Amino acid sequence: MAAGTATRIYPFMPGGAADGTKLASGAVVLSDLTDRPRFGLKGGGSAAWLAAQGVKLPAVNRIGDHRGMRVLRLGNEDILLLAEDAAETLAQINTGWQAATVPKGYSSWREEGWAWMRLSGPDLAKAMSGLCALDLRPQKFGVDDIAQTRVGHIEAVTFRSPTGFDILFDITASAYFARAVAAMAGHIEEHRG
Amino acid sequence: MKLLTCPMNGPRNIDEFQCFGPVRARPDPNATADRDWSRHLFRAENRKGIVVEWWRHVPSNYFFLAERDLVSNEIIRTFDAPQLRDRA
Repeated sequence: MAAGTATRIYPFMPGGAADGTKLASGAVVLSDLTDRPRFGLKGGGSAAWLAAQGVKLPAVNRIGDHRGMRVLRLGNEDILLLAEDAAETLAQINTGWQAATVPKGYSSWREEGWAWMRLSGPDLAKAMSGLCALDLRPQKFGVDDIAQTRVGHIEAVTFRSPTGFDILFDITASAYFARAVAAMAGHIEEHRG
Repeated sequence: MKLLTCPMNGPRNIDEFQCFGPVRARPDPNATADRDWSRHLFRAENRKGIVVEWWRHVPSNYFFLAERDLVSNEIIRTFDAPQLRDRA
């Protein structure tokens, strides 16, 4: 390890808090994206600073796009950038933000505080309807919608991804969430008729 | 399931919310008699009628106001905090 750099250990990695917990696979698939780049800003000045960088901000609880990043507006001054395939763009924004001296909000530490998981598979709709009380059918919940609600009994932010639903929640609940999804997958399998 | 409508997130299970109690006047501690200050700190109102309360939608940490009937427990309406200031 180079001097001055830190290696993050995420929950499902060897040595992580959820090490050894199995992620559901089969008809319901749970994937862990927690190590993918993201950056959240919160508080007064966040929206104005991002807008000044050319980031087009969507309405609250909607998702926008900026050079390959997904821009999640979780509140007027609570914005999350997800850069699954746009790490360089995110790094530029992050560097600019670190250097800025104007009012710019504060980092909400989403890259450390939140787990990022993706639910997919043939039984996705059944699993999601068992885990979340909201009506998430395509006619009610579009590709650019965000739901801040409960998924698997914990506070979570969920939205559509090309293969399923992405779910963001408190990283300390990672093992619990994996077990909740596995239990739901088992329940669906058991009652397949 | 009892529903509460969050002004930002829409109708949700009331289980997603936390109540922070009624909106109250904040007396100036330097200009308030001990008796009135003590009443403000330690005694709760117990009346019938409509109360305006602070509520929080927990997953989004959004604070807003709700008007509730203290007899029927019906939530009459929910609204953003600046609307109370505008009305005052």
